[in-house]
Amino acid sequence: MKTFDELNILELDTIREIGSIGTGNAATALSNMLGCEVRIDVPEVRIMEYNEAIDWIGGPEAITAGVLVRINGEVNGIMLAVQQIEFVNMILSRILGKEITNYDELKELESSALVEVGNITISTFINALSSLADITMHLTVPAFAVDMQGAILTVPMAEFGGQSDYIMTIGSNFICDHRVVPYRLLLSPDVRSLNFLLKKLGVLDE
Amino acid sequence: MNDKIVVGIADMKLAQRQGMLITYALGSCVGICLYDPVIKLAGLIHIMLPLNMETGRKSPMKYADTGIRETLRQMEQKGASRSRIVAKIAGGARMFDVPGNGSLGNIGQRNIEAVHMTLKRENIKLLREDVGGTVARTLLFDASSGQACIRSYGKAEVIF
Repeated sequence: MKTFDELNILELDTIREIGSIGTGNAATALSNMLGCEVRIDVPEVRIMEYNEAIDWIGGPEAITAGVLVRINGEVNGIMLAVQQIEFVNMILSRILGKEITNYDELKELESSALVEVGNITISTFINALSSLADITMHLTVPAFAVDMQGAILTVPMAEFGGQSDYIMTIGSNFICDHRVVPYRLLLSPDVRSLNFLLKKLGVLDE
Repeated sequence: MNDKIVVGIADMKLAQRQGMLITYALGSCVGICLYDPVIKLAGLIHIMLPLNMETGRKSPMKYADTGIRETLRQMEQKGASRSRIVAKIAGGARMFDVPGNGSLGNIGQRNIEAVHMTLKRENIKLLREDVGGTVARTLLFDASSGQACIRSYGKAEVIF
C-alpha cells in the first residue's frame, strides 16, 4: 500500500491529470449554473504535510466556508471545497445580486446557494473521476460550515490521519466576469482507495 | 504577547517562565496545556487523534495518549514534578454535521475521551476544560502565569 508521499512521478502526473479534468468539468457546471462563462486556470495539485497545507491555503485562523461530502462505494474518502470570500462573492453576485464583506452576513439563502455550488463542483469532479477510472462512487448529502480554515481542513486530515501525514490539495483560479478568484478542493481517499484508484487507472507501480 | 511560540498540528512546545504558547484553529483536535506552577514550566500539545496504533510511532504528538505521556516525560526531564502538574484542555468540536455516518462526526468526542482517560491514568489533575460544540478554537497559554485563553469566531475571548 502506497501513501501520498510515496507516489512516483507517473502516479503523481496521473493524479494531476485527474485534477485538471475534474476541475475543468466543475467549471463547465458552474458556467451553466451561473449563466456566464467560467474559465479555469490549469490547476495545481499538491501533496503536502498538514501544517504546510494550511499555510498554503491562507493560514489557520482566516474564516472560510467549507462544503464537505463523503465518498462511499468502491472508493472511500472525503472531498472538501474551500470557499474563500472572493469566491463566495463571485457566486452571490451572480445568483443573488449581492456581495458580503463578512461571513456573518450569510443567511440561510446565501448559505444554501454556496452549498449548492460546492455540491455541484464536487459532484462533477467525482463523476469525471468515476468515469475515467470506471469505478462506482456514491456521495453523501453535503455538509456546510463557516469557521477557521485550519479547523475545517483538519476534518479530512483527521479522518485518515492514522494512515498518512499528507493531504492532497487541488488549487485553481476560476475566471468569471473579469474576476479571478481562487478555489481550493481537497480530495482525501483512504490509503486503500488511493491504491485501488491508481490501479484502475493503470499506473500503480507495486 | 510578542514572543509567541506557535504549536502546529501534531506538535508540542515547551516554555518556561515566559512566552506565550499558541495553537491555532482547533476543530476536532484537542489542545492540552500542562503546567508546573512551581517552576513555571508550560507545555502545549495539539493532538489530532485519540490513540496511537501506528507501528513505527513516528509522530507521538499526533495522538492523545502518546502526546501527553511524551510531554510529561520531557517536562520531568526539565525538573517538573508529576504531582504538581495540572492540565487545561480545549477543542474536540464537531465541525461538520454529516448525516448517516459514524466516525467523521465524533472524532472530536473520541479525542476528548482519550485525553480524559490518559490524564487520569497519569494522575494529572484537569483544572478546566472548554470542549465539544461546533466552533473552532484558537488556544493561547501563558507560561508566566499558567493562564489560558480561547479565541473563537464570532464569540468573545474566554480566559480560563
